[in-house]
Amino acid sequence: MGVAAGVITLTACGSDSDSQGSGSGNSSAANLVMTVWGGENDKTTYQKRIDLLVKKYPEMKVTLQLIPGDGYAQKVQTMIAGGKGPDIMQVAENVNVYSSKNQILALDELAGKAGLDLEKRFGSIAKIYSYEDKVYAIPDRSGAMIVYYNKTLFDAKGIKAPTADWTWDDALSAFKEVTVPGKQWGYAGGGWWAQWWSFVYQNGGKIIDDSGKPAVASDEVIEALQWTGDLIFKHGVVPTKKQYADMGADVGGDGAFANGKVAVNTTGFWGISGLTKSKIEWDIAPLWKGKEQAVTAFGSGLAISRTAKNPEAAFKAIDFLTAPEAQQQIIGTGQDVPASLEVQKSDAFLKPAWMTKPVNMNVFAESSDFVYRAPFVPAWNEMQKAFDDGLADFWLGKQDARAALTAIQQRLESIVKPAG
Amino acid sequence: MMSKLRRREAMWFYLFASPWIIGFVVFLLGPMIASIYISLTDWDSFTAPEWVGLENYKRLLTDDPVFWKALWNTFYYAAISVPLGLVIGLWLANLLNKQVRVRKVFRTLIYLPTLVPLVATAMIFKMVLAPSGPLNDVLGVVGIPGPSWLLEAMWVKPALILLSVWGAGAATVLLLAAMKGIPRELYEAAEVDGASPIRQFWSITVPQLTPIIFFNLIMGLIGAFQVFSQVYILTKPVGGPDNASQMMVPLLFNEAFSFYHMGYASAISWLLFAVILVFTLMAFRTARRWVFYETEVK
Repeated sequence: MGVAAGVITLTACGSDSDSQGSGSGNSSAANLVMTVWGGENDKTTYQKRIDLLVKKYPEMKVTLQLIPGDGYAQKVQTMIAGGKGPDIMQVAENVNVYSSKNQILALDELAGKAGLDLEKRFGSIAKIYSYEDKVYAIPDRSGAMIVYYNKTLFDAKGIKAPTADWTWDDALSAFKEVTVPGKQWGYAGGGWWAQWWSFVYQNGGKIIDDSGKPAVASDEVIEALQWTGDLIFKHGVVPTKKQYADMGADVGGDGAFANGKVAVNTTGFWGISGLTKSKIEWDIAPLWKGKEQAVTAFGSGLAISRTAKNPEAAFKAIDFLTAPEAQQQIIGTGQDVPASLEVQKSDAFLKPAWMTKPVNMNVFAESSDFVYRAPFVPAWNEMQKAFDDGLADFWLGKQDARAALTAIQQRLESIVKPAG
Repeated sequence: MMSKLRRREAMWFYLFASPWIIGFVVFLLGPMIASIYISLTDWDSFTAPEWVGLENYKRLLTDDPVFWKALWNTFYYAAISVPLGLVIGLWLANLLNKQVRVRKVFRTLIYLPTLVPLVATAMIFKMVLAPSGPLNDVLGVVGIPGPSWLLEAMWVKPALILLSVWGAGAATVLLLAAMKGIPRELYEAAEVDGASPIRQFWSITVPQLTPIIFFNLIMGLIGAFQVFSQVYILTKPVGGPDNASQMMVPLLFNEAFSFYHMGYASAISWLLFAVILVFTLMAFRTARRWVFYETEVK
């Protein structure tokens, strides 16, 4: 095994980054590496926030590494495995891949020392990135899924703007009104987990129950999924996969909505930037409700990897980056919804300078009251794959929700094990 | 006893060969040996690997329906795409070898698809293969209702094979070059004996080309068993619907970098290695019977 071990260390040393500026008396003097994913605008936004940080704490040096979305997880994985993990890393739904394996640090103690009150700063999502009652990442960006609707199509049929009080039936009848078979559809569809899971939680169902076991074969989950599927095959108000494939390569709900082919789309904040240049008239609204209100929230948090040499300094940086001053940059560039509640309610957020149309930005603060706690299990990717595989026939209309979910439940039981 | 000169020569030999030797040991042999060890462990790439013996192999072979599905899909893909690519390559080369006008233009056009980056080709294929896309329009003209290629479990593999045949131009160029090298006298002699062009093709051209056909067969087999990008770009979710287009390499990529099962993924890679080895050996064994080298006396 000598050869192999030698090779591993050899390759691990291949990408040597600059070493820590340790030894100086000042405890927050540090060279920090921060990894994030995204594109050009994300890079600009993070850099602007880091510039503010360094201005406040000149003794810190922060190197931003932007890794394109597809390769992010793999790259960070190899960095950590090689002992050169980032000090600060962006995490999202897969946070517990790292926390369950002790690759990122529990932050409760550091937050206590710094006097950071998470609930005050972030409200209901304060502890969204927790594992076994410990917080592993500080919320940084967070916006609920929202409803985009085509004003022209709604006005033509005299339908009022969607509200949080719409029921499933209200939504369905509106979809039916604006559907022109084969040409125009009421709704872009709920095939993405963030969408149909919202309906599951609205219906009183849960993907993973409170004891940590999968619970997708329950009547509540089945009913919600069946409702989502019926929109396509029973009511014809959502394009089928075939109809989507005919709209062009990689056209999905967002593209179809921007083209005016579907009247309603449910997605995150990022839809806005794609629509500022679209020719259609649109606005946003909170998601409708079922038996209760519930909606998926998207976002990401900042965590500290186990290889960080100066966790105190890293936390100090995170504390600053998630405070209002730095968070304002997130909306300033139109990147995302900042997690800070104070910023979400500020004028800078409600009337962003770059917005070309009057858009009801208050929807995000309104929605944040009924965000459900999504199950970020360590085996997140495997769980998603189980749904992708198991629902393939369902989304083609070849299987009913009960049969599909019963099979998925069985597979999930071997993938998702209760913690501890 | 080695003479001084021989020793010096040997030293120079190793010196010049060292870049390759070092590269091979560090980047190929080393990782290969490491991956044998990893395949015998349960390793998430973060925490220390845990020794599990042959458990990964046992689970793969006896308790993982997705693995068998991926193996079957890969066989299916290789068994059709490789011979099909060869036949089409041979056919095109033969056409180009005739005295047609603007032959050079055709040759360029046929080779061109090989130069287009795979990602771009795959994006275009997505549109071509759309349920109401150009391909199904053409099929519709002759009265065949085309399937939803990429969305149906039954048609997604044929769609991937179609994409692979698109790259047949690479084989064509090699075969064409070899055809040009066949001595004219052979054809002249055959013509004098009254052999028809078809007879000439089967009795002269094909036997003379067998070394090149064999080369393309081996490379094609290895490439087909390792198919990755096509699946990764064309199918969504990767390997979908419901693993109908899941192949060995995308499967091991998923296990290693998406599910964090490094040990399991390493075991898959060794099984894939064994499969490729067996097929390559089989090809070499049968080669004695159908591949002819000019210098060889039978």
